[in-house]
Amino acid sequence: MSVSLTINGKAVEVDADPSTPMLWVLRDHLGMTGTKFGCGVAQCGACTIHLDGQPTRSCQLPLEAAHGANITTIEGLSENSSHPLQKIWIEANVPQCGYCQSGMLMAAAALLKEIPKPTDADIDQYISNICRCGTYTRVRAAIHKAAEMMQA
Amino acid sequence: MNEILKSNRRQFIVSALATGGALTLGPRLAQAAETQVWDKNELPAGSAEFTPWLTINPDDTVIVRVAAVDIGNGTLTQACSFVMEELGSKWENLIPEYADPNADYKNGGVYSKPGSVLAYFSGRSTNPDRASTYMIAAATAREQLKAAAAQAWGVPAGEIVAKDSTLSHQASGKSARFGEMLAAAAQVKLDAEPKLKDPSEWTWLTKTHPAKVQIPQIVNGSAVYGMDVRLPGMVYAALRQSPVQGGKLVSYDADAIKDMPGVLKVVAVKPKANEPSDLKPPFPFGVNPAQEAVAVIAEHYWQARTALDALPVVWDDGPGAQWTSTAKMNQAAIDAVSKPGEKIELSQGTVDDAAWKGASKTVEGTYLTPFCEQAPMEPLNGTCLVTKDRVDLWHPSAHTQESFFVAADETGIDPKNVYVHQPYVGGSFGRRVFGDDSRMVVAIAKQYPGTPVHVIWSREETTRQGRYRPLMAGYLKAGLGADGMPTVFEGRMSGGPGFYATGMADTAFTLVTPNAQVTSQIVPFHILQGPYRGPGYNSNAFFVETFVDELAYAAGIDPMEYRIKLYSKWADKGWVKTLTEVRDKSGWGKDTLPKGQGRGVAVANWGMGGKPDEGTTVATVAKVEVTKAGDLKILQLDVAFDTGKVFNEDAVRAEMEGGTLFGLNMSLNEGLNINNGQIVEGNFDQYPIIRMADTPDNINVHFGGLTGNPRYNEVGEPPAGVIGPAVGNAIFAAIGKRLRQTPFRTQDMSWT
Repeated sequence: MSVSLTINGKAVEVDADPSTPMLWVLRDHLGMTGTKFGCGVAQCGACTIHLDGQPTRSCQLPLEAAHGANITTIEGLSENSSHPLQKIWIEANVPQCGYCQSGMLMAAAALLKEIPKPTDADIDQYISNICRCGTYTRVRAAIHKAAEMMQA
Repeated sequence: MNEILKSNRRQFIVSALATGGALTLGPRLAQAAETQVWDKNELPAGSAEFTPWLTINPDDTVIVRVAAVDIGNGTLTQACSFVMEELGSKWENLIPEYADPNADYKNGGVYSKPGSVLAYFSGRSTNPDRASTYMIAAATAREQLKAAAAQAWGVPAGEIVAKDSTLSHQASGKSARFGEMLAAAAQVKLDAEPKLKDPSEWTWLTKTHPAKVQIPQIVNGSAVYGMDVRLPGMVYAALRQSPVQGGKLVSYDADAIKDMPGVLKVVAVKPKANEPSDLKPPFPFGVNPAQEAVAVIAEHYWQARTALDALPVVWDDGPGAQWTSTAKMNQAAIDAVSKPGEKIELSQGTVDDAAWKGASKTVEGTYLTPFCEQAPMEPLNGTCLVTKDRVDLWHPSAHTQESFFVAADETGIDPKNVYVHQPYVGGSFGRRVFGDDSRMVVAIAKQYPGTPVHVIWSREETTRQGRYRPLMAGYLKAGLGADGMPTVFEGRMSGGPGFYATGMADTAFTLVTPNAQVTSQIVPFHILQGPYRGPGYNSNAFFVETFVDELAYAAGIDPMEYRIKLYSKWADKGWVKTLTEVRDKSGWGKDTLPKGQGRGVAVANWGMGGKPDEGTTVATVAKVEVTKAGDLKILQLDVAFDTGKVFNEDAVRAEMEGGTLFGLNMSLNEGLNINNGQIVEGNFDQYPIIRMADTPDNINVHFGGLTGNPRYNEVGEPPAGVIGPAVGNAIFAAIGKRLRQTPFRTQDMSWT
């Protein structure tokens, strides 16, 4: 079955079983490996994408549910890694192993869109991604700094 | 032959990027996307390999070859930093590339000599051998470049300066890029090995703290982890191993799923007989046998996974099924420390009745830590192509060389024809060191020869088929002298076969106690074990430093002052220095906390091996609050450490923060349960990991504990051991309940 959707601004047709999770559609069928597999049960957030602007765990999103949707992945977060979050992530040495960070960045970008100047409590509530390396302190500081940059 | 195999060289090049606060992404980012395709990175014409560690290209870029895998700890960046100090390159021109274990094998261990068995393990990138190897290679290349320029310009080499990838001679005004002098420089034979800078002359090491060079690739999703390897014609496999470790595969009904979409083949894995071998792997093959397994190979992963779930499989659980419950295993471990263990780990002075009778007070306690899973965020996986006479393995290993030998052993193919391609690694924490995952990937792929097979463990399979932090019990007993200090100590520990004893017999507490005996006992558990951030140490630091706290209270001395007095007897000044640093910075003793709040301290060392001025000492103070209902909140953490010195302050700070959170999670949350021999927990809903909202607001890393001893020791494991006892001791200070078992979340912390 073929499903049409828009990914990072481009129209895409996918021919796969409609129950296939979007995570595996992106990774295996479309070769877009920036969206990571971490748990498969919507716990860890490594697979976070934006589905019509909303942060969504793609491991629990069947392809058929995304028909006609507008999807953004880490590859499409910005042109040339120019999103303030991406710049600060580099400057502040945020990632360690880095595997969870695509999802972390996508969650943070969605947060800043919804709440341009988030409090610590907003960040606690919004960013439920798991990072086993323990980069949370730096992620929090980087989100605050990006919020400042985006308001300046 | 497949397009990807046209070249023999293993080619995983990662990009270096401008740092120093630069926010613009350099041109190398565009290059990076291209250079992640394996076996396409032929060196450009005119490049010069100065040593196996260093190649300089005509465009001034420098390939820096790195053996130690970067699992998030910055080994790639540190290798570049050593080169940066001596070469005179621009930072952004340094491009790290993993050192090919095949080339290492063919060339007499050229990459594995510095660092020996740990050379390809992400152990210490700051190992003195590694540091000097890079600095000598870089200084030699620099002097060769200068000599070539001197000859070309007819000026003395000593007057030429190498800086920013440029050679210049002030008096004559001549200058040239490195890339312009390569051909002549490569021919230069130096009379003597150049003298390295004295550390006081360093301008990069210890002075700068570059961020990890691969972050630009991480933030746009272009960094290729093992999970992201994509090869032409690749197929996928999902696997299931015996739910009880050590069990046997009896039968499976492949016909039941053969018509499911995409299914190509069902294969069984039987462990290869451990036959004598001429191969000399860094760790003996005994640490990485395959478990019996069945795998479904399909066109796409989701098809393989779905078909595997539908596959009827019959297992023979084997003897492991006797371990019917966690409680039964805990009791067996505790029973094993009810008397001295069979193996004597340490005996000093005289531990006899007279010694115990001479004590004014005795204190004893029994402690327990459970099996824990490393839970790296990237589930286990790997990709392998086996043909008649060659193996290619793309594997997120934490020890590339071990994976190399495993691939040779599992296929019987000559190591000369084995190629391991090292992608990025999504965490290890010990899980990816021994290569049992590499072996499973190869064991499956060799049954589907001629096609690259990407084998992926589900999260549940990763969690339930681990090589765990051992379940360990400890029994500690000490007699105190009139001054409250220990005069006699007996320590016992137990765990499953191969558990790690590190951290009780070889630690300062035991070594400063005049009469001490430490023994260990093996319990016949079937659960497979492996390294986990500070093997042995992560349990023993909890036992010993909780026990020391109990001694302080028994002696009626403030736990901080007690430790300072106790550890002032130890020759390594770092113990007292880190303690006084966290005492002064945490507010210890400066205020009176309400009931329900408390501070606790712990200090320990990873890597000392019983010797002063070795390893890394960490002291941590935790301030906690416990509600009457028993809910725990961490209010503040202060961490001081002594690695001797540090090369990259921010890299060390990041590891201290991360290692502290790792150890906090281990102590608060982690513990696997066993039911009829099987691991119960499968995913993060059952095996909780600290998230943003659980992270303490104040994690303060202090640098005032450094003694200046020139050892630049490691930073990954050390903080993980002390945070647990610091929090447990703080809970005791807050509510008077002594926690002798982890995880704390399962303990009753309510109070009235």
